[in-house]
Amino acid sequence: MKVMVIGAGKLGYKLAESMVLEDIDVTVIDINQKKLDYVNEHLDVLTVMANGLDIGILKELGISSYDMLVATTDSDETNTLICSLTKKLGCKTTIARIRNPEYMQQLDFIKHEMGIDYIINPDLATAQAIERYLLKNYNFYSGEFASGKVEMIDFNIEDMKEFVGKKLMDLDYFKGMLVTAISRNGEIIIPNGSTELLPNDTIFVIGKTTDINRLNDRITEKDIIKKDIERVMILGGSNIGYYLAQKLVKANISVTLVEKDKERCQELTQTLNDVLIIHGDGTDVHLLDEEGISSMDAFVGVTGFDEENLLMALVAKQSGVPRAVAKISRQNYSRIIDRLGIDAALNPIYITASEILKVIRGGKIVSVSLLLGGDAEVTEIIVGKDSPIVGKSLEELNLPNGIIVGVVVHDEEVIIPNGKTRIYADDRVIVFCLSENLPTLKMFFGSQKGGFLNELWNRTKGIR
Amino acid sequence: MNYGIVLRVLGSILKLEAVLMMPSLCIASYTDQADKIPFLITIILTAALGFFLSFINRKCDRHIGIKEGLVIVSLCWVLASIFGALPLYLSKSTPTYIDAFFEIVSGFTTTGATIIPNVEVLPMGILFWRSFTHWIGGMGILVFTLILLPALGIGGYQIYKFETTGPVAGKIAPKMKDTAKILYGLYLGITILQVILLRVGGMTLFESLVYTFGTVGTGGFATKNASVGAYNSTYIHLVIATFMMLSGVSFSLYYSLVRRKFKEFFGDEELKLYFFILAGAVVAIGINLFFTSYNSLGLAFRDSYFQVSSIMTTTGYTTADFDKWPTFSKAILLLLMVIGGCAGSTAGGMKVIRILVTLKMIKREVLKIFHPRAMSPVRVNTKPLQNETVAGIFSFTSLYLMIFALSTIIVSLQGIDFESAISSVAATLSNIGPGFGFVGPTTTFSSFSPVLKLYLSFLMLIGRLELFTVFALLAPKNWRKEV
Repeated sequence: MKVMVIGAGKLGYKLAESMVLEDIDVTVIDINQKKLDYVNEHLDVLTVMANGLDIGILKELGISSYDMLVATTDSDETNTLICSLTKKLGCKTTIARIRNPEYMQQLDFIKHEMGIDYIINPDLATAQAIERYLLKNYNFYSGEFASGKVEMIDFNIEDMKEFVGKKLMDLDYFKGMLVTAISRNGEIIIPNGSTELLPNDTIFVIGKTTDINRLNDRITEKDIIKKDIERVMILGGSNIGYYLAQKLVKANISVTLVEKDKERCQELTQTLNDVLIIHGDGTDVHLLDEEGISSMDAFVGVTGFDEENLLMALVAKQSGVPRAVAKISRQNYSRIIDRLGIDAALNPIYITASEILKVIRGGKIVSVSLLLGGDAEVTEIIVGKDSPIVGKSLEELNLPNGIIVGVVVHDEEVIIPNGKTRIYADDRVIVFCLSENLPTLKMFFGSQKGGFLNELWNRTKGIR
Repeated sequence: MNYGIVLRVLGSILKLEAVLMMPSLCIASYTDQADKIPFLITIILTAALGFFLSFINRKCDRHIGIKEGLVIVSLCWVLASIFGALPLYLSKSTPTYIDAFFEIVSGFTTTGATIIPNVEVLPMGILFWRSFTHWIGGMGILVFTLILLPALGIGGYQIYKFETTGPVAGKIAPKMKDTAKILYGLYLGITILQVILLRVGGMTLFESLVYTFGTVGTGGFATKNASVGAYNSTYIHLVIATFMMLSGVSFSLYYSLVRRKFKEFFGDEELKLYFFILAGAVVAIGINLFFTSYNSLGLAFRDSYFQVSSIMTTTGYTTADFDKWPTFSKAILLLLMVIGGCAGSTAGGMKVIRILVTLKMIKREVLKIFHPRAMSPVRVNTKPLQNETVAGIFSFTSLYLMIFALSTIIVSLQGIDFESAISSVAATLSNIGPGFGFVGPTTTFSSFSPVLKLYLSFLMLIGRLELFTVFALLAPKNWRKEV
């Protein structure tokens, strides 16, 4: 498969990185040679310095032989134009990143008229993720699979004495569920029954929604406050803030939005009706106090600066806000965030990359979530008839350590598998996988052409 | 530094080298000469160490950064030469091990400088192995390994960057592995074509293989003492001369030819300058020869064409004793020695692209005298070059000249005349083979002292790896464990 990524920014880089792990041929185009040099040093992709709108260059690169193009430049208009042009030049699928809320109303029209296959709005996707988190009444960030029948949550056990120092097999909390991974000091551990939990471990649990709900209730019982979200403060009137405010108001939540820029505030007042918009510096603690930060049920930091979001979320946490969420776009911080004590850090880049990966992997993949700073992911796959794993038990498959089959949904029935569980065609399988094992995952669950020669030439077997 | 992966890749190289010696072993067994047992011993030794290194490091971290790439590339060439020299020494083809080492470094670096006065008595297995090292070394031992090593990912690029010739290492396919496959595919194609053409010209299969390896690798080892001059056939001379010329062209450029991007191929500025220099030199030397020693204009041009191709692409085959040519011709040849072929080819030397950029910089400086405020980036193929690239080219050129001068002084300790000293440095640093006078086409490097032989081997290595790879390795900063 060949994919062209236009724009080597944060999203472009992350996408290219994820695709390289899947053995996809990636070409990255950007007009900034410095950025391309960086990509070239770190990823096994082809880089071309050019303007993505230059048809001559696109033709020269053989755009018609590409299976997909993702336009991630800064400008919505450029992205739209690139996708439209390349589609006409014969690229099979095109994906454009469009962020401006004003275009959101006419997306279908744009898609249809310009011939774009998918439009991805990272800000909207992030706002949706935050909304889901806030309305879910969970204390943790979670993901849904198998149309809601299966869920995965991750939470920090801090120093809860129910968990710390215990071995997994001794804990009755996780009956009927599977602990797929533990993140300890930024490192991922694939646990087994005798793995001992330490303070501040973040654990990833997957299971039936009902079981997960029960687990959630049992843990949150221990916490002092447990009530529905009624008041939310949003820091930053960016697009994410705008979408989020809009959504929360619809859910009858009272929203206070703090924004520094006066003109932006005025713009927001035009479209956001029932939101209290405050013009002021969100890093000013006095201002936040006056606006009653301590009485808020949740605090969301979505300014353009990761540091500001992170620090103000911590300030809110300290003022007694039960839930503090921060938007973090930079990948490099992901290793320390677990230890900082905010409730959720959402990365628009991962959210967007997950969406695009879903499109890339095609029909049989239902959903993809990137976890742990992109070091691992959870994928929901519908098992194809010609997949090499059909009819085999998990024991026989001999999967590498980094691949864990979390749940098998067979005929609408949710099964937490053990070694004897067999996988049949058309089952939904939810797999936790470290990114280094992705090619192997593809080998097991895909319906790749086999054959000794093919193996020898591509050496797929060698990647373990 | 990640020593695990370095040792593991080196292990793979040794395993590969053992496999690459198999054809020579087959020839040795078939002809049943003195080199049969030496090849067997070497293959067993090399493979054993290779498996050992890979085995103890099988669980290493896969990351290859700049530093690891650097160390892998430099050590790989040394290690491959150390083991590659064993059959020569064990079969008593060379009197000492240092001689054998010199000979095989000369092979891998595609120099073709020999210390064996009479190659015609060598066993066939050894002759084949010597020339085969040209073929492997031409495109790069490691680039070959890249095809075979699974999942090195970005590490592959770090290795490719240091091993390939020229100032900028460009990929031609998104995956490093595919790039390596394409390059070797083209290389193999040209090789097969030449073998067929030489067979048609009446060479035996063995000879046509040996000469083809020497030609496309731009090496220069032959089966005859008189090199290509031993064949009194204009057809063979022309075929070899033409393929030498073709091997001095960037292989990535051939890829655009394969993809029918003719404009990209023929419009390439480096290629144009390469052919311009080549044609100019052929004409100048041809006319010079005609008016001094040759009676026939045709013969003068035939020998001029062959010698110019051979020297400019740094191959080193000879059809005439150019040491006896007039000084005008010899001066041109010396200049060609320093220039070398195109970047991304198997040729050595400073590379035409660097000359091109330097010329353009001079042109720009002249322009700046008249228009002090003119903004004019140096462009190659209409694309402006990065300032870093230009600076890199300049430091390369200066370092090259400095090493050249310094080495001439060191080599002159041998007590040879000035012309011989200069040309022996040029012949090794630019990976050519024969020089003038003491190291001329009819003589060998055998009378150098062992220390100087080692020094010249070093020159060949840094010449092939384009100076900075080896120099960066020598900087002690590299060896500190942290960072």
